[in-house]
Amino acid sequence: MSSKNFKCPYQDNKLKSTANLVARVNNDIKAEKLVKPNLVWLELNGCAGNIISLLNGQNPDFQYLITDMANITYSNSLLAAEGNQAMNELFDVIGSNFILAVEGAVSLKEDGRYNIIGRHNHEAVTGLEAVQRLGEQAAYVIAVGACASHGGISAARPNPTSCVGVHEVLQRKVIQLPGCPCHPDWFMGTLAYIILYGEPPLDSRNRPLMFYSTTIHDRCPRRSYFDNGIFATKLGEKTCMFKLGCRGPVTRIDCPIRQWNGHVNWPIEDDSPCIGCAQFGFPDAMEPFVNFNPTKGV
Amino acid sequence: MAERITINPVTRISGFMEIEAEVENNIIVDAKTKGMMFRGFEKMLTGRNPFDAIYFTERICGICSTAHALASTLALEDAMDFVPSEQGRYLRDIIHACEFLQNHLRHFYQYTLPDFVKLPANYPLFQTGHNDYRLPKKLNDRMVEDYFASLEFSRDAHQMLAILGGKAPHNHGIFIGGITSQATVDKIIAITSILDKIGKFLDDKMLPDVFEIGKYYYEYYFIGGGYGNLLSYGCFDNYKELGTLYVDPLVYSNNKISAFNPDEISQGREFAWYDEADEPDIQKQGAYSWIKAPRYNDVPYEVGPLARQWLCGDYRNGISAMDRTIARVLEARKIVGIMKTLLENLIPGVSVQEHYTVPEKGSGKGLVDTTRGALGHWVLVEDSKIALYQIISPSAWNLSTQTGNMKGTGEQSLMGAPVRDTQSPVEIGRIIRSFDPCVSCATHVYSEGKCINSMQVV
Repeated sequence: MSSKNFKCPYQDNKLKSTANLVARVNNDIKAEKLVKPNLVWLELNGCAGNIISLLNGQNPDFQYLITDMANITYSNSLLAAEGNQAMNELFDVIGSNFILAVEGAVSLKEDGRYNIIGRHNHEAVTGLEAVQRLGEQAAYVIAVGACASHGGISAARPNPTSCVGVHEVLQRKVIQLPGCPCHPDWFMGTLAYIILYGEPPLDSRNRPLMFYSTTIHDRCPRRSYFDNGIFATKLGEKTCMFKLGCRGPVTRIDCPIRQWNGHVNWPIEDDSPCIGCAQFGFPDAMEPFVNFNPTKGV
Repeated sequence: MAERITINPVTRISGFMEIEAEVENNIIVDAKTKGMMFRGFEKMLTGRNPFDAIYFTERICGICSTAHALASTLALEDAMDFVPSEQGRYLRDIIHACEFLQNHLRHFYQYTLPDFVKLPANYPLFQTGHNDYRLPKKLNDRMVEDYFASLEFSRDAHQMLAILGGKAPHNHGIFIGGITSQATVDKIIAITSILDKIGKFLDDKMLPDVFEIGKYYYEYYFIGGGYGNLLSYGCFDNYKELGTLYVDPLVYSNNKISAFNPDEISQGREFAWYDEADEPDIQKQGAYSWIKAPRYNDVPYEVGPLARQWLCGDYRNGISAMDRTIARVLEARKIVGIMKTLLENLIPGVSVQEHYTVPEKGSGKGLVDTTRGALGHWVLVEDSKIALYQIISPSAWNLSTQTGNMKGTGEQSLMGAPVRDTQSPVEIGRIIRSFDPCVSCATHVYSEGKCINSMQVV
């Protein structure tokens, strides 16, 4: 049974929340009720998979984001400028109204020197220094993805580069969008909310409630198999994957109804267990990802 | 007198990189490529459940996560003595092919194009410090349009990937045996129809765009060549019934193509920040990068689309920065054809999954060519856990540090290149981006220095 067959107004509303917010932002910016904020996209120690995921955005897409929602002033992956000029563009934003989005973890090892993000006026700039300089000045700070939120895979044991989440090095609130990667809608929706209304309603760990309020398990299309005790014993089966190690019961995120890449699929629909990538503690607390022998801990 | 140029960050790549070059009379006389981040995945993987390596190693790289899933799966299957079905191979190779298309579209339009095309100045993202833009206005305008239009097609490539792989980046589909789910007719036709649209964009836009750039920036056919040693582990190859659809494991050096022998791979660390025990050591004298120095027969090799296009015989115009970029675009079109063949050979509704047991012990290697070139994963399993894991990524080959006086591949490609204006040395970025560098992948290589027969890379 696919979640697409449901016609629940609650779910419908959730799915459209990002698109509705974004449409309002655009209207208000055009009507000059709102000024487009600057947006800095800062990559730190990670895989740069969140900007790749952001480019997968659809309604709004990336062109709409940079044309109608915000002035992106910096992105290591996309900036046309390079070298010192790029670093100037990064730090020139200080003093303006800007939102800081960070992907990747903050490496603390050797004062951050395991992650050099550029050279400004000949001096090496560490990820740690950049996030602290920008983070304290930004109107809002958004940690995009698992690594920026809580260290993620960059902080997996034995945490070779002493990685931590962005909030650990800032004396301020950081909006958390855990997930590996972050779904483009989670970021676009959060950004649109900030532009329109300011800080979105957050849970106790600073995750926007509009995306992170419910566990995967609560809305899983395979929930009836769980309730009836019908469990898959290998991948590729259409029943509940709890005994293969599925982390849906502990992972708060809206994957079952939002799905991925234009809403075509998601891990459980793909007959593989949720590995809890949007939950704190990923990856160490979520392993083993796939467990064929549930009676014996691996 | 030599003038020293430092570029950091080299933007429009994955990860963080610095280039240091010395320029004398407007010619580069010395160059260093430096990886500026360290992550240490091999350390993290030790002690974990071997099966977790597939999803875990994907997180090495946000742009080529599928490549790592595939190499990891191949290494595990080798360690388990497990041979996947041909249907399983077709399915996961289709997922891998989707990543090729997504990567090549984004690398060409979002990472390469801004070096040659003046993007609209009303976007802060697109301001640059040089003015070497040569396209006539009409052509420039067309390419700006294609910069944005391409986003739809790279997104669609990820959508095809997700139809079989669950999500992208960091898919769940690729696993031991092939993929987790089954190819059903509705999925096959969905992918086929998206692929058709992407193929049309490649033919109508991307191919003409790259050749136009080649016309207006003609000297790039003659610079950025480097050693001209080419290597591929092979990909989309050696199917039981379909044979090789792309390229076999081959190397090219001194005008000669020969078979690739994995025993000839070695890795140096003389100029990389690792001590004698292979621990990261940022204080190490003389070291300048987190990237080690993979070698084949003790010499540096280039890997990637140009190596593959050359080795399979499809494209042998030359070895240069422009040829590298053209080969990438030609390869995207080749991949569309390969995907069509694989899709036509799928049998719908076949499950390729079994109940697997973690081996008590074993060792395996997974060598496969991926978007940026030759990728190797090596795994050693002891007590049903990962005892040792090693990764040599394509960008480790292309951005390797020196061994002795021998420069890395990317460094050598910069040697002798002209720099017209040392204040805005646009040539350097154009040459190095032709390799599609991915530093996130290249800089966490770690080994415990154990001598293991099945792992020649110590």
